[in-house]
Amino acid sequence: MPPSLQLLLAATLVFVGAVVQALLALKAGAWKRARAQVMLMSLGFALQTGFIYLRGEEVRQCPIRSLPDILVFISWSVVLLYFLLGSSFRLSLLGLFTAPLVALMQGMAFMNGFAPYPPKGPINALVELHIALALISYAAFALACITGVMYLIQERMLKRHHIGGLFYQLPPIQGLAHAIQRTVRLGLLLLSIALGISFALHLPMTKTGHVVFAWIVWALYAVISLLMWKHFTSPRKTAWLAVIGFILPFISLWIVTHA
Amino acid sequence: MPEPTDIRSGLVCVGLNYKTTPVEVRERLAFPEAQVPLAVQQVRGLPGFEESVVLSTCNRVELYATHALPTGKEGHAALRQYLIERFELQPEHAEALVLYNLDSAEAARHLFRVVSGLDSMVLGETEIFGQVKSAYKVALDTGTTSRSLNKLFQQAFTVGKKVRNETTIQRGSTSVGSVAVDLAEKVHDLKECRVMLVGAGEMSRTCAQSLLSRGAKSIIVSNRSYDKAVELATEMKGRAMKFDEWEHALHEVDVIISSTSAPHFVIKPEQIDQVMRKRRWEPLLIIDIAVPRDVDPAVNNIEGVYLYDIDALQAIADEGRRERERQLASCERIIEEQLEKYGFLKSPGSGGLKLA
Repeated sequence: MPPSLQLLLAATLVFVGAVVQALLALKAGAWKRARAQVMLMSLGFALQTGFIYLRGEEVRQCPIRSLPDILVFISWSVVLLYFLLGSSFRLSLLGLFTAPLVALMQGMAFMNGFAPYPPKGPINALVELHIALALISYAAFALACITGVMYLIQERMLKRHHIGGLFYQLPPIQGLAHAIQRTVRLGLLLLSIALGISFALHLPMTKTGHVVFAWIVWALYAVISLLMWKHFTSPRKTAWLAVIGFILPFISLWIVTHA
Repeated sequence: MPEPTDIRSGLVCVGLNYKTTPVEVRERLAFPEAQVPLAVQQVRGLPGFEESVVLSTCNRVELYATHALPTGKEGHAALRQYLIERFELQPEHAEALVLYNLDSAEAARHLFRVVSGLDSMVLGETEIFGQVKSAYKVALDTGTTSRSLNKLFQQAFTVGKKVRNETTIQRGSTSVGSVAVDLAEKVHDLKECRVMLVGAGEMSRTCAQSLLSRGAKSIIVSNRSYDKAVELATEMKGRAMKFDEWEHALHEVDVIISSTSAPHFVIKPEQIDQVMRKRRWEPLLIIDIAVPRDVDPAVNNIEGVYLYDIDALQAIADEGRRERERQLASCERIIEEQLEKYGFLKSPGSGGLKLA
């Protein structure tokens, strides 16, 4: 196994470990010691970064051109956004919900296998930026999906009067609802910039399937964002939209990379 | 590995608490806050005494001291006599005074349990930690502590933190008021939380006070008797509202506490449905502590509305108490481990709790 994949395997195991640690801490009622969780997430992030660097060296370009690489890059962006947004939104337990998704995406990347890239001409920085921004926007949508799951769990416990260990650790539902809105807006902004770059690159829509799918994803999240902004639906429904909505970008990645 | 402490031999604790002494006696033996510095000096000034800390709260009065007297029994007797003289107890009251007399390991164990909230009326409550810290600080500032008590109290604070960090003894709510606060905290940011009382019963007053003490932003009080609403609103620095107007202000608040004596539902789904539209689906917590109930249970089916009646609140409080009791054995184990670690359990003949 090449060193890059060893790093990725280690990162995946660390994220699985973060889930196990969080579940054990919750069961024991010792979640206050969240330092272990942050340390595990940091270690996983460092290992992911190491993988992306080594993989970039192997393929001599930014490793975001095959489904496994894209899945890893999105996972890396999700963890990055977790560090940036989790603390500013005071979203306790975000790591517990982030780590399984990241471990799952990296597991899927492993199953697909990492093939060498075909030889490539000179690197166009704008194209690389366009792809990277689009993928980071997908990571923001992934984080909105995770926050949506947290909202739905907390909402269900409040409605059904199931006041237990997880209830005390999850943030207030109002805060979660606001966090969903902000992450969707952030994703939408990043995707808008990525699509704006595609105009500058004169990428023809008909010949670039990923741009078409990116526009579909953009339209979906624009509608979700509008519904949230104008309060047309309840926060519970928008949380469901954020959760279910992420299925589309996820599927589009698979279609685009296999087309 | 810390070295075994030398506190063991001369340490005594004499005290009374809500378990041993009724409130009528406790209130007579409580040290006013301003007099505690004098009290610690008086205790240390007793013949043979070297250090002292006085802990006086609404639930307990305890004297911790070290001495160079031949036996612990003499130390207990001296402290008992001090309390009798300090509070000028009549002979019949002095004779009836029930105190616990603890030495060395038992005194340390007791202090560790007190700091951890295990000896409190509400198991696991955290306020006592701060109260013991304040008592120790007063003694430290007054100069009545030295190496032994400084070490003991530092160890006690470490143990208290360890118990809270490694168990869930302080988790969950044990009273209706604290359940209301916990629920409100999980729905809204409390600092932005606006509360409305519909009816001004004692229980709703308690819930509202709990919310305000934890930072709720504002309060509106509406009651059939407008005078009573004004009185309560003034007391809570809120706004009074006539009873026929409260419905119009429902969309302005985040928590409704209802406790009218109406024989029928006063808050109905169609009202709340309208309110939620006006609130743009911002979540609304409704606490119905009236019997018969004020709020139609169908209100809980409306999206964004979380309705809790008195039985639901009580069930959560009961579960909170049970959860804390389940943690008790783990807490006691931690305390025993720490007593061992600090060398208290190496002393022979550390007696049990003795009542005089």
